[in-house]
Amino acid sequence: MSEIAAAGVRPAWRSRLGAGAEAARGAPDARRLLQLTLAGIWLLDGVLQYQAFMYSKDFTDMLSGTASGNPGVVAHPVTWNATLVQHHLVLLNTIFATIQVLLGLGIAWRPTVRVALAASIAWALGVWWFGEGLGMVLTDSASPVNGAPGAVILYALLAVLLWPADRDPAAPFVAARAVGAQVARALWLVLWLSLAWFALLPGTRAPQALHDMIAGMEDGEPGWLAALDRGAASLVAHQGLAASVVLAAALVIVAAGVCLPVPYAKGALVLAIVIAAVIWVFGEAFGVILTGGGTDPNSGPLLALLALAYWPAAAGADDRKAAP
Amino acid sequence: MIPSWILDTFAAIMLVVAAVSAARLVAARPWQRGARPAALADIDVAHLLMAIAMAGMLAPGLQTLPDGAWEVIFAAMTAWFAYRVARDAQASGVRALAGGHCAPHLIHAGAMLYMFVAVSAPMAHGSGGMSGMGGGGMSGMGTLSLPFLAFLFTLVLVGYSIWDLDQLSGPGASGHYSLAVARVAPPGPVLAGVGAPAGPGAAAVLTEPASPPVVAETIEEAPGVPPASAPADGTGVLAPWVATSCRIAMGVTMAFMLIIMI
Repeated sequence: MSEIAAAGVRPAWRSRLGAGAEAARGAPDARRLLQLTLAGIWLLDGVLQYQAFMYSKDFTDMLSGTASGNPGVVAHPVTWNATLVQHHLVLLNTIFATIQVLLGLGIAWRPTVRVALAASIAWALGVWWFGEGLGMVLTDSASPVNGAPGAVILYALLAVLLWPADRDPAAPFVAARAVGAQVARALWLVLWLSLAWFALLPGTRAPQALHDMIAGMEDGEPGWLAALDRGAASLVAHQGLAASVVLAAALVIVAAGVCLPVPYAKGALVLAIVIAAVIWVFGEAFGVILTGGGTDPNSGPLLALLALAYWPAAAGADDRKAAP
Repeated sequence: MIPSWILDTFAAIMLVVAAVSAARLVAARPWQRGARPAALADIDVAHLLMAIAMAGMLAPGLQTLPDGAWEVIFAAMTAWFAYRVARDAQASGVRALAGGHCAPHLIHAGAMLYMFVAVSAPMAHGSGGMSGMGGGGMSGMGTLSLPFLAFLFTLVLVGYSIWDLDQLSGPGASGHYSLAVARVAPPGPVLAGVGAPAGPGAAAVLTEPASPPVVAETIEEAPGVPPASAPADGTGVLAPWVATSCRIAMGVTMAFMLIIMI
């Protein structure tokens, strides 16, 4: 803020100070930038949780709806949670929203980054089970296009990968710094291969499944986004199997990307970001935020953020041509 | 329907911001010659006006001016900060847009203008524009046309708030208003303490105060600071972190308002 940099200071001095400060500014730490992005998404989540929709019966219906198709061990806690929220909707939803706002602010506030990241993992796991029915991954309807394996589990994964520790100081990419390159690559493989698997489930590969999934996002959206959805839906009409196979193949390529030499790895990560963007716009309609009923931006931005965490580090890249 | 006490809580936060901004203006005495650069008072004025307007939007009992008057005010404010951003951009290039000092205020002013211009009346009471809160809309407020624009504004506001909070809690990449620096810096224009470089382990390292040599060097870069400006350069209510905290509070509240009016 200019009032800070130059309060009570003559313009000439101010300009000199400004130039000096600019020159002294180092490049921001990549991991911190990713943490801040995660913090921003948590803060956005918290703000979204304050919407009027979340204080209505529609929200509890949405919660209880995630029990459908899940085994009892998952469904019963989901139903119990939905009933509890229904009985104390105002209080609990306000607590939910405030917790998410605090998680975002806590990650952004440096002294509390570890506490907030740890709390975000616990919170995300709880919401994944009690609020999202494990992202429906145990049902036939899980699809990467509609947000499987559940956006909230990606928050937990990111919190682990962006944990402010340096187990591997010479890590080839940010995500490896806290857990090591091998573990980070294993987590990447599990995530993207599972997405490929979900893409081939009956709920996605049926002739009209993808069409219906995308077309179903139109309700309540602005005209231009509804038109985009209609166009995308018509492209995959009666092409569910072919589209699913293409999507699964692309996801497998992305999964394998982190094990490839740097140039190919970068290509795979760019592909991951493109897929995440396509899913976010066409499959998730920006997390239906524009309808006033979105609880979070859904998985698209988180998948892209994850891809950035695996981007090969520039320093020492020559020594790590084999893999990012 | 959002419980009214939640809106009232945010309105109360905005009243605190307005009071703090007013106190900063009074303490800085911008009307006195040489007390403080006039260009810096505009930020406190902006905070004051925006906080008053937002409090009125959130709690009908706190309305002050008609919507039309606010539209004029925020149009002028947007134009003023656009001018300042353009001037900064001439000096330091596009960096002024991303990390400059006036760009966040331009976004804040633009978001306020957008909220007043794009709002449609709440469904039930419909007393007109933003002032019809407490009515029958889903949020009790009006709804905004061009919701994607509201979403974009929200993203930028959240981004600036998070960035401000990060910078406030450590030197970071441009930590000239961090609390860490404020703790070690003597009163005076020592506001550009640039401390530890970002890098591995930065999150832990950067919570430490900036090293004294860096601060001392910065002091030497500030010759000729008028002694009369001492109250205006970073202590008490005029401390940099106070203004930044106000901006964070406003950014979060504004994002909240934009989202609930989609």
